Amino acid sequence: MSMPKLFVRVRDLRYWLCTALVCVWLPSVSTATGESPMTSDAPEADALFDDSQLHDIWIHVNDRDWAQLREGYRENTYYPADIEWQGHVVRNAGIRVRGRTSRSGQKPGLHVDFGRYVSGQRFLGLKSLDLDNLWQDPTMLRERLAMLVFRRMGLPAPRESHARMFVGSGREFAGVYGVIEVIDKQFLGRHFNEDDGYLYQYHWQDPFGFANPSSNLDWYAARFEPRTHENESTSALFAPIRDLARAVEDAPVEQLEEALAPYLDLSTYIRHIAVDNVLSQPDGLVGNLGMSNFYLYRFEERTLAQMIVWDQDLAFEDLELPAPSKNFDINLLAQKIWASPELRAMYLMALVDVTLSIGPPAGTPEVEEPSQRQCPAPPGQPVCGWLEEEVSREYAQIREAAIADPRTPYGPEQFEEGIEFLKRFARERSRIVRHYVSQIDPGIVAASAVQPSGTLRTRSRQVRRPE
Amino acid sequence: MFSGKSTASIFAAWSLCAVVSAQAQVEPNTPAAREQPPERERGVRLEFDQRPSVRIGRLLRLDVRLTSQADLRDLASPSASTNEDAFDLQRLRVGIEGTFLRKLEYQVEREMRDSSDPWRDVFVNLRVRRAAEIRAGHFKLPFSLDQTTGSKGLDFTYRSLAASYLAPGRDVGVMVHGDALGNGVKYEAGVFRRGGKTPLAVTGANAVNPRTVAGRLVLRPWTPSTPKPIRALALGLAVTSGRVPEGLNGLRGRTVGEDVFFDRVYVNGVRRRVGVELQWRMGPVSAQGEAIRVRDERRGQGIDNKDLPDMVSRGWYFNGTWLVTGERKKGTIEPTRPFLRNGIGALELAGRIEELSFGSDMAGGGSSQGPRAPHPSEKSDRALTAGVNWYLNEFIKVQADVVRELRRDGGRVLDSRGRLWSRTVRVQFAL
Repeated sequence: MSMPKLFVRVRDLRYWLCTALVCVWLPSVSTATGESPMTSDAPEADALFDDSQLHDIWIHVNDRDWAQLREGYRENTYYPADIEWQGHVVRNAGIRVRGRTSRSGQKPGLHVDFGRYVSGQRFLGLKSLDLDNLWQDPTMLRERLAMLVFRRMGLPAPRESHARMFVGSGREFAGVYGVIEVIDKQFLGRHFNEDDGYLYQYHWQDPFGFANPSSNLDWYAARFEPRTHENESTSALFAPIRDLARAVEDAPVEQLEEALAPYLDLSTYIRHIAVDNVLSQPDGLVGNLGMSNFYLYRFEERTLAQMIVWDQDLAFEDLELPAPSKNFDINLLAQKIWASPELRAMYLMALVDVTLSIGPPAGTPEVEEPSQRQCPAPPGQPVCGWLEEEVSREYAQIREAAIADPRTPYGPEQFEEGIEFLKRFARERSRIVRHYVSQIDPGIVAASAVQPSGTLRTRSRQVRRPE
Repeated sequence: MFSGKSTASIFAAWSLCAVVSAQAQVEPNTPAAREQPPERERGVRLEFDQRPSVRIGRLLRLDVRLTSQADLRDLASPSASTNEDAFDLQRLRVGIEGTFLRKLEYQVEREMRDSSDPWRDVFVNLRVRRAAEIRAGHFKLPFSLDQTTGSKGLDFTYRSLAASYLAPGRDVGVMVHGDALGNGVKYEAGVFRRGGKTPLAVTGANAVNPRTVAGRLVLRPWTPSTPKPIRALALGLAVTSGRVPEGLNGLRGRTVGEDVFFDRVYVNGVRRRVGVELQWRMGPVSAQGEAIRVRDERRGQGIDNKDLPDMVSRGWYFNGTWLVTGERKKGTIEPTRPFLRNGIGALELAGRIEELSFGSDMAGGGSSQGPRAPHPSEKSDRALTAGVNWYLNEFIKVQADVVRELRRDGGRVLDSRGRLWSRTVRVQFAL
């Protein structure tokens, strides 16, 4: 009778030994591989782009590499670095200087490629990340605010937050940076539920606005850098872009929408240029020097393409300008939209919709003491619009760090002046734009005054296809 | 394997030219020409014994050297950009060598197809006595038997990976060397401007003097009573030591097809090489092997400026040859019955196994990748080579090699990119 009991005990003993071995072995394996400290409960990228807080990002980089990176800031040389955020560390990522006109050795903007040295490595699910040096913006807010407006208007735009960046073993404070989502396959998947189409980043070379499109595919190759399908033939990559440009050139004004339907989502394009206009973006799709700052995505197995906004740190340039049709004369597509009564109405409606979405409600009285202005507004005071509240919120979030930024080229006075301008822009720009629109088509503004904001798509469709 | 009629015709034409010119060179190489009467050693004269030579009595001897070789290659490379399948005139090297006042030797050699770094051996050698010579100029550091063997004496179309990528190659320096104890001891020791051929990235603030010392000792400590198979054995040891400037100056590993399988890492400190070698030659048979280890310090090269474990690069090879036609194996093979002169030349079979690997000095801690990784994932390339060498005469050699490589990353065989086949046919003309 005792044998079965003994057997049970021996079996138990085996069980416990095995369990103990597994318990000892598993942690040692995870320590030994050591490549990714992220665990299954690691946060997602959403947490990094959570704009309700000011993040801290620590770039662990060799002092010599950091000095060389800053010295050779015009080069795209990668250097190895560990990236730490909220106690999570990704090892052996690659960092390089990013930007075009904003390149700086004093405060270098960075592109972080998590898989540069470790094939397939990701951080919070991201393959790469941009850290914007906010070099051209005393307020450090324009880029993030503009992207928020685009997303608010239903357009795909990168997620952004702000972070204090620390560098090196001494954890030197290197300034306030914008944490920017990179437009890549993950971005496409989130916005379009597909990611295998053709994505290009447009690089400005000279003023181009669809007029006189080149027949030479190399011309397009120099301007549209492929971000997917990079190794495909020149013809496969760029002939569809040439076809799009030719379609714009050839399309008659009265049939513009139908002619372009296979190539471009015109309603999205119109919304895009409307946001650009309201935000007084001099360097966007209808910029002073032609098209700029966008990605082009051509959908899987289709010729249809869509433009995606990029790099908005020059937005909010002027409170009074531009007028709705500014620069349309140097952009053939915008010119044809303006020439079409139906599409022009659609564009004007889009302008009004943007103003209603971001500005104070129509009819809100002017603020008497801007310097005493609070958002949200106390009872009895004029209501704050969404953009003004957003400026106030973000300003409060970054103010202390921005003023302490040791590498920004702007002083505290310029920062505060810039913020005051942004607040004023947020309060007054909508009214100014609606005034422009009312001078062109008073009916649109009158109709919009009684419509709630955020109904752009519905009303745009009604305008496009009136009964 | 090799495609293209034009490629084949170019190759054939080049081979024919080489054979014809060799025949033209061979003609004067007769026993009569070799026997020079003593009275002819006076005055200026032009001779053609092995190669064109100008002699001014006993004052000066000036020999002309020419080496030309062409390859038909089918090199395996995972990267399409370096995938080669082509006829290529690999080498066209001309030079002079000789003696001045019998004691002072000199050599000047230039590679005509290399515009960036054309000079090869450029040195003078003062021969005080056989056991004490001094060499100064630009020449190979005394390290690695395979690396210091001239291209004419190579048993394969490419040097071993270990010699190619771990040995220092040429540099400017001064060296004492000699043979002592009746060839029982051969020594070489010198100091050189930097660590050899590898270009070093040096930044002003971090510049250090990369002067390198190197030494090599080859022993044949045998007596006449030692059995002949043992007397045929030579054993050697070589070391180098020198500072490497801080920067991306680690050694780079390449495959036979010159595809990079281990890229440079950041190093700073001392680079030390140790190599052991053996050579055994008996009649028509030979065997040769080497093992090389290079250790690079990485002071302050961590991402947080901390010291990293030393980088350790290792390489070894072992090869054997057999002259089927029975000639005696030595540096330059002279066929008993040259081709087109009542014979077929000399035929030799050769085989080699070798490996080149890179990793860090410390075990455990997890491996990783990147130029500042504490424990770089160990990467290696093992190659097996089988070859046939056909010596048409003492000037012309045709070599054919087939190479199979097996690449590993962290002990894991790379499936799609790991197993590579390469084939090379080379025609070499050396005067």
